[in-house]
Amino acid sequence: MKLIDHSIEKFFWIAAVLSLSITVLIFGFMVILGFPLFKGGQFFELLSQPWLPDYGTYGIYHMIVGTLSIAFIGLVFAFPLSLGCSAFISVLGPKRFGQILKKTVQMMTGIPTVIYGFVGIFLLVPIIRELFEHGSGMCILSASILLAILISPTMILFFSDSFDQVPKPFLDAVDALGGNKAQKILYVILPYSLRGVITGLVLALGRAMGDTMIALMVAGNAVALPDSVLDSARTLTAHIALIIAADFESLEFKTLFACGIILYLFTTFITLSVRSFDLMPWRRK
Amino acid sequence: MNRVLEKSVTGFSWICAMVLLGTVFCIVGYLLIKGLGTINITLIFGETDPKDALFFRKQVFDGLFPAILGTFALVVLSVSFAIPIGFAAGIYMAEYCRGIVKRIFSLFFDILAGIPSIVVGLFGFSVAIFLHNYFSSRIYPCLLISALSLAFLVLPYLIRTTQVSLENLPEDIRRTAPALGATKLQNIFHVLIPRSLSGIASGVILSIGRCAEDTAVIMLTGVVATAGVPKSVFSNYEALPFYIYYISSQYSDKQKLLSGYGAAIILLVICGLLFAIAFFIKHRLTYHVLYRP
Amino acid sequence: MKRVICLAWISVFMIAGNLSAFAGNLNLFEGMKGTLRIAGGTAHIPVMKEAAKRIMTFNGDIQISIAGGGSGVGIKQVGEGLVNIGNSGRKPTDEEINKYQLKMFKWAIDGVGVVVNPENKVKALSKTQLIDIFSGKINNWKSIGGVDKPINVYTRDKASGTRAVFWKKALDKGEITAKANFVVSNGAMKSAISSNPYAIGYVSVGYIDKSVAPVALGGVVPTLENVKQGNYQIARGLYSNTKGEPSGLTKKFIDFIFSPEGQKIASEKGFIPVQ
Repeated sequence: MKLIDHSIEKFFWIAAVLSLSITVLIFGFMVILGFPLFKGGQFFELLSQPWLPDYGTYGIYHMIVGTLSIAFIGLVFAFPLSLGCSAFISVLGPKRFGQILKKTVQMMTGIPTVIYGFVGIFLLVPIIRELFEHGSGMCILSASILLAILISPTMILFFSDSFDQVPKPFLDAVDALGGNKAQKILYVILPYSLRGVITGLVLALGRAMGDTMIALMVAGNAVALPDSVLDSARTLTAHIALIIAADFESLEFKTLFACGIILYLFTTFITLSVRSFDLMPWRRK
Repeated sequence: MNRVLEKSVTGFSWICAMVLLGTVFCIVGYLLIKGLGTINITLIFGETDPKDALFFRKQVFDGLFPAILGTFALVVLSVSFAIPIGFAAGIYMAEYCRGIVKRIFSLFFDILAGIPSIVVGLFGFSVAIFLHNYFSSRIYPCLLISALSLAFLVLPYLIRTTQVSLENLPEDIRRTAPALGATKLQNIFHVLIPRSLSGIASGVILSIGRCAEDTAVIMLTGVVATAGVPKSVFSNYEALPFYIYYISSQYSDKQKLLSGYGAAIILLVICGLLFAIAFFIKHRLTYHVLYRP
Repeated sequence: MKRVICLAWISVFMIAGNLSAFAGNLNLFEGMKGTLRIAGGTAHIPVMKEAAKRIMTFNGDIQISIAGGGSGVGIKQVGEGLVNIGNSGRKPTDEEINKYQLKMFKWAIDGVGVVVNPENKVKALSKTQLIDIFSGKINNWKSIGGVDKPINVYTRDKASGTRAVFWKKALDKGEITAKANFVVSNGAMKSAISSNPYAIGYVSVGYIDKSVAPVALGGVVPTLENVKQGNYQIARGLYSNTKGEPSGLTKKFIDFIFSPEGQKIASEKGFIPVQ
């Protein structure tokens, strides 16, 4: 009996170690397979050069710009939207309506990204094209809008949870002083849950940078450095999806691992910053 | 000045709520309008008789059946890989791990959770090529590799939900069985897990949803546009989300495009259903498990 | 009388011979089992799909999977042993042939044509204009007689054989603007052009249908007839490549493509069969 118990407990431990090693392995594979890039110091060149395969230059600089611009602009749209909606759900809206909105938002988290991309191609892109008369409609703006819709539900739920954690006595105090709902949220709830809000924002940034399908389907995938939000751009994620089919002995393919490393480092950095805010609910114990 | 700010805040949040609801209705409504008409037996089975297709007597061409089956097989495989490891690791984290070790594990799992899906796909692809070159040349990107990669993707979710569900149990429940002489393992299996079943179950359902909807990972690890019903785990296969992506970028005629809408609706329904089930389980299962007479 | 009988026997034999040849097309796959993996050029896909459908319907034990990716992918993957047949829309280079011991099988001829949206008034271009449009020098339709809207250039990735042929023969290896939108296959190019009134791109002639409008280059419209007769210069062969001599299921599939039925499929899908 003791032996079985012991082996089962050992199994738990092994499972945890296995999962941990996968995290390390993923990074390890990227580094090992991309190793030729480090040898000649090319790695850092790659980060600042454009992608011109005909001239032998395989820089991913433009793709980094693409990823960052789409993610940040997406956040610019999503952040106010999410704040407003979560304020509505928690405080400012009528109770029933707030609950309906919350349920809708929860359902939205289940919508696959490929569906957003699909609807984006046929609904949003022609609108953008006709409205702005600049490019083909497949641009940073379209991708950012769709991305904002993608990450808003998670942000809204996160913010809502943070707002709900404000201790009731504080809210009662506002009522006792004769404050209205707007004052409650502006002067008590928001400042108290500032940390939660920032955490949610940073998490959403990570999600936005890591999304592939929306950028692949709607951002146009041009290799030039985008001049404006109406220009076609390529993200690191879409680049990986596009080039995966190339010759894997070639330098071209190796740059995919550079992309992978960059993405891994970005998201790890985000994870680390969020942890340092110490607001992850699963670390309570 | 403050008055203006306060008034506008309320108005602003109303606008946000309306915009969000409007967007959701637009998206779902657009899909339904365009695609509802295409949902019929032909969409799924093409020209093959459904009975022949369901019993695998005949292949289905020009229908969604292989893709639906592929997605189904993918989900079953990846979840079967992920559940044992995820459960075990979650239990370890909640029950056996303390202090600095726990923080380290927790850090790595959080990192794993944050890795973009395409990077996981790239990893899966590299593993496949590595195995192909050094082990057996019969290994290509295939159903098995995709399932493994998807398992890596959902592993952190499973670990996290198991861990959180177990940790959220009240202290007195934890202490009762050991006080009566049960071993730690007996406590876990007979008391703690049944109590946290709803949280764990909803985590499993959400992982299933994640596997069903992911496109980036499978694109790199073995999904193709045409493969028929997968005959073995080492073969290529089709999947619903990839079909939607493929159709959106290259539809040969209006009919094919409409089938894309139909596929999108089917995928949406599957994910919505899974989500509703997870929700239901979370709220109702607790009741049944705890208050069963 | 003797002559008539002789003639009759000859015709019987001829008919019998033809019948068996006809039946032999799919009968090639009688009693075969296994999996066939095909990848590569996207122009080949419609033919591959139809052939696969007929073969799999005839013999349920065979599974054929078809992926795209472009000619470069096809050559690379068949060379690495990841697929059995790698399709390419351009002839593999000598370097590739030597590296992978490729055997090439050309089963159809196709062209690469410039296409625009059917709403576009511009239907003919000179070679210089084409080069300038793709390099970005001309960037508004009004400079060439169209509406006052910017030109949206669409192109393919480096793995594409269609792109390689277009770049070499139509653009004389000129530059393609970095601002061009990328699409991943012939099908995707067609969809993109047909949904964007200000788009221009290039696609396999076999793919051209009512949803896109071909653009005459130097006075010659990219049609199959013109490719066949040699009037339209931007032509290329459709190849299926194998690593070394094909055998088993792979060989049968290639034989099928060259058989009358296979060649008929090729011409139905809009290409010029070699037989």
